[in-house]
Amino acid sequence: MHAVFRPPVNWRHRRFRYKLVVWRCLNCGAVHHYATSICRRCRSNRIDEDKLPDRARLITYTVVKNPPIAFEKQAPYIVGLVEFEDGTKLVAGITDCDPEELKPGTELERVVRKIAEDGESGLIVYGYKFRPAITRGR
Amino acid sequence: MRKVYIVGASLLKVDEQWGHSIDSLVSQVVDGLAEVRPWKIDSIYVANALGEILQNQANLGAIVAEDIGLAGVPALRVEAGGASGAAALVSGYQAILSGLADTVLVIGVEKLSDATPEEAVFLPSLSERYDLVGFQGVTESALAAMMYRMYLERYELPQEMVAQFPVIMHEHASRAPHAQYQFKTTLDNVLSSPVVSPPLRRLETTAPADGAAALILSSSDALPTIQHEQVVELAGAASSTDIVFPFDREDPLKLSAATRAFFEALARAGLSREQVKVLEIHDSYSILANLILESIGYSEEGASGVDAKNGMFDYGGKVVINAFGGLKARGHPLGATGVYQAAEIFLQLTGRAGACQVDGAKYGAMISLSGLGSAAYALVMKEG
Repeated sequence: MHAVFRPPVNWRHRRFRYKLVVWRCLNCGAVHHYATSICRRCRSNRIDEDKLPDRARLITYTVVKNPPIAFEKQAPYIVGLVEFEDGTKLVAGITDCDPEELKPGTELERVVRKIAEDGESGLIVYGYKFRPAITRGR
Repeated sequence: MRKVYIVGASLLKVDEQWGHSIDSLVSQVVDGLAEVRPWKIDSIYVANALGEILQNQANLGAIVAEDIGLAGVPALRVEAGGASGAAALVSGYQAILSGLADTVLVIGVEKLSDATPEEAVFLPSLSERYDLVGFQGVTESALAAMMYRMYLERYELPQEMVAQFPVIMHEHASRAPHAQYQFKTTLDNVLSSPVVSPPLRRLETTAPADGAAALILSSSDALPTIQHEQVVELAGAASSTDIVFPFDREDPLKLSAATRAFFEALARAGLSREQVKVLEIHDSYSILANLILESIGYSEEGASGVDAKNGMFDYGGKVVINAFGGLKARGHPLGATGVYQAAEIFLQLTGRAGACQVDGAKYGAMISLSGLGSAAYALVMKEG
């Protein structure tokens, strides 16, 4: 199996993965996780950098019991569908809790965590995950 | 007007074929088309999803053409995830209707048993956006599980309304000699099988499978020159795409690519949905059976489970779905699956479906999905 994580890819996505920096369409509001000059929804070329909020709400979740490559040591782990105030939705690892603590609507906050290790000698990659909110405010 | 016919079909038992490579599966399956003569093929489409990863083998157009003694014939590989086979068929249909080809060979081949268990989870997930989904450790099964949970909650249904579909599929596959899993199962078995991602259970998903299937398509012009037994008209084919991340769609429980592809293919064939008596659907996860049947209008939203329980999709019902067991029980050799679906409809419409025969079926249709509905391919066939 080839490498799952590659240095140029990790570098390219660093601001999205660590801070949720996105490219937002100024015409329709659609969010892109990659640098773009044309909106994937309305084809407008009015795009500007933006940052998703640090808080989101849980819509639904599940648990991955059969892990993919690079996540072998983590299973079982929780993954959830989260929604930000502006309606943007992402799936992400949900951390620092047990499944029983979660329900639709649970308020979450973004944290940066280790995502996975690519084998013994590959990259260790970091990125956003969410946990039930423990700090104050939005 | 120029028409497209299927003049021959061949398929291998879906299985873990440890002793066979892509090349040997292809040569075996093409051997099954020996009754169709002469072997004058204008173009070859090879459907495969993962050859460059699992067998370190890309460029399957040229490789397969040589394997079957047709080096020199134009050939290319088609990849559209789990719908690669159907995408290759749509391409072959278009090549014939364009007038540039009279005879097209479509081969679907996949060898998933070469994968480790972790690869078997990882690789099918590649149809989803890796940077958003796979990177977070979210598997395709996990996305399907969240759609499943949303479905049960929205329509306030017990899990049985989804989990019964695998029971139907295994019942059908128990009569299909080429099916991977020919055992019957019960709702209790499905609901007590290991959890993959709650609420999704092991028996609601597919397992690594190897397989190959092949069809020969002919134009109406070339048909008189070809020796064949029975033919089926490929009367309509269409495809569509959708937003890739299911939860970015207006409604994650509506497979609108499937809706568009299916009705466009039916319209091309000049048929109504009610005339279709055999239907192959893409049930790589149990929940997709519900969502497809509701998206193509066989059931009201949230009602496919009740309809299935009432026998609407079984022998004697409105339409028989997955008469040979579907992806669940016939098996899901990823890139080959769409070609299996088409070959199975060919067997039905030529009366060669054996114990799986749906009596009196004159029209059949299939729907094949990439990922969780980001692309859909539909084909409609008529008795020849």
